[in-house]
Amino acid sequence: MAFERLGHAQAMLTLDAISKSYGETRALDSLSFEVAPGQMFGFVGPNGAGKTTAMRIVIGVLAPDSGAVAWNGAPMDAENRRQIGYMPEERGLYPKMRVAHQLVYHAELHGLPRDRAVEQADIWTERLGIAERREDKVEDLSLGNQQRVQLAAALVHEPKLLILDEPFSGLDPTGVDVLSEVLIAEAHDREVPVVFSSHQLDLVERLCDAIAIVKDGSLVASGEVEQLRSERSGRRWRVELDGESAWTPSLQGVRPVADSVYELDEGADPQALLDEARQHGAVRQFGPDQPSLADLFREVVAEGSDKATS
Amino acid sequence: MTGRRAIFLTARRELRERATSRAFIASTIVQVVIVLAIVIVSSLAGSDDTESFKLGALGERPAAVADAAEAQQEDFSSEIEITSFETEGEARAAVENDEVDAVITADGLITRAGPSETLVTLVQQASRSVAGAEALGSQGLTDAEIRAAIEPKPLEVDEIGEESSAGVAFVSSLLLYIAIIASGYAVATGVVEEKSSRVVEVILSAIKPVHLLAGKVIGIGLMSLGQLLVIVIAGLAAAIPTGAVDLPDSTLPTAALIALYFILGYLVYACAFAVSGAIVSRQEDVQSSSAPLTLVLVAAYLVAISAAESPEGSVAVVATFIPPLAPMIVPARAAQDALPLGELVISVALMILAAAALLWLAARVYDRTVLRLGAPLKLRQVLGIARR
Repeated sequence: MAFERLGHAQAMLTLDAISKSYGETRALDSLSFEVAPGQMFGFVGPNGAGKTTAMRIVIGVLAPDSGAVAWNGAPMDAENRRQIGYMPEERGLYPKMRVAHQLVYHAELHGLPRDRAVEQADIWTERLGIAERREDKVEDLSLGNQQRVQLAAALVHEPKLLILDEPFSGLDPTGVDVLSEVLIAEAHDREVPVVFSSHQLDLVERLCDAIAIVKDGSLVASGEVEQLRSERSGRRWRVELDGESAWTPSLQGVRPVADSVYELDEGADPQALLDEARQHGAVRQFGPDQPSLADLFREVVAEGSDKATS
Repeated sequence: MTGRRAIFLTARRELRERATSRAFIASTIVQVVIVLAIVIVSSLAGSDDTESFKLGALGERPAAVADAAEAQQEDFSSEIEITSFETEGEARAAVENDEVDAVITADGLITRAGPSETLVTLVQQASRSVAGAEALGSQGLTDAEIRAAIEPKPLEVDEIGEESSAGVAFVSSLLLYIAIIASGYAVATGVVEEKSSRVVEVILSAIKPVHLLAGKVIGIGLMSLGQLLVIVIAGLAAAIPTGAVDLPDSTLPTAALIALYFILGYLVYACAFAVSGAIVSRQEDVQSSSAPLTLVLVAAYLVAISAAESPEGSVAVVATFIPPLAPMIVPARAAQDALPLGELVISVALMILAAAALLWLAARVYDRTVLRLGAPLKLRQVLGIARR
């Protein structure tokens, strides 16, 4: 699939042809994508695709070999980076520090004055349901609660951009709901772009306005979720017949891809497929098939490897 | 945000988190107790502690000898308690049963095996006095004349040198050794704690590595300096007002030098320890990566102990000019008035140069290794990193 730029005129975060190698291993290969203000942006890809490397480059703890990161069209500098709320995949908190102290410390490091930092720490522990844990040491909390503290640490300084590496992993369903709500509020109410990586594609599909799929350090697809799905659906048709009539289309350029779903080549006519179906029974359902994000993911990742091996 | 604010915030975090930790409070108490114990023990050893003896007398003349012994008890730092016996049997039984230490008889002294030499000398002296007084009395001398003859004014003792200055030197070396190794190790484990918990990634998304390092070194340094001052002041407070120890005049300058050399020695070692933390990823690896530093510190301490015995010897003088060794030796020499001012000035200058060089090196290596995960780096790789 061709790389496609987003249509947004004012991208807030831009990754422009980022490459990074660790010795012989190429972690990122000219990766580019853009995130718009207020956008929920899902960053997906198989393990080892380079998602974490890309995020660490955005927050500036890692330098790219080539390429640039831009913030509102200008190169990202230290002052912009301080406005990012970051949550690493492997959680990063002081184990022996009390929750409230920890959050105030992070808020102050990101430039908040002390009283504002204390206020924000109170607000976020309240919102994330860990208010009673403020005086506990982080190491004494359950993993789920540690993760809420981690998220609070990313949010406590009123960031203008959120970069979250696997924020949902390890959360129970309530935790997932709380986190989803918070992130959507940040994105849609405060206009803060939220970039997060996840392997839970149903969640990504439900929450995200746009996604980028990476594989082996390269972008294989990106854009708004609906647009990506409808692009794919143009060539896919679902034909369901009444009863259990076994039927395989004999039409040229038609391939079954799943139960009752057929992929049509450029030249194949969907109406001819419908005509043929009618001959085999009463058609209960006929229409373009929208692949789920999971299907889409599997396909583009598989295509990516076809390209790589051919 | 300015770098100064970032350093202030990280230093304050180190101070607050560590100073309120149980381990820190416990180590402060233990060290205060150790120093107080040293003060008390040396005050006992140095003071004129009196021995008490129970002395028996069998008969009239032995009673006179016992009285003479009691009259001279202070010269022998002793306290005599006299019991009279009627028969030799009673006297022997009392000695055997440990009711008295010795019994004076008409022509001898009954004691258990291994009598106190002080007691024997005292009784012999008393016996000679009594015999002398009898002889002089029979010559017709008055009591006053006899006393003047047999109890001359004792010689005045004039001690040269200061006995307890070696003790102050020993304590100062020990305190500096403990303070530097503990604070250095705290820096190394603090760096690794941030690496292994990945919190360093979150922090460095907000501030520069060199500011995090500076804040950590300053915070831990202030905390350790505070601890050291508490210990030194507690020791001085125990020693000075009670007069328990005859502190040499050099004590207060030595205390000031302990503070100064802690700061300089800490800066030299803390930077090296920070690097030893930055080049590993796991808490378990700190021990081995900081082993060379620990070894240098232990060696420096051993040299300091031997130098304390001959503070003007060539070992002590040479070590004064070697920055890793100087912190434990310079205050020890000063305690014994064996440190020429010129040597002190040169030593401080060399320490400042070494600290500056190590700060620079540590900032470079820390900056390039603190986010690195994986196997510990070799020394050669570290130097390569510093050169880049």
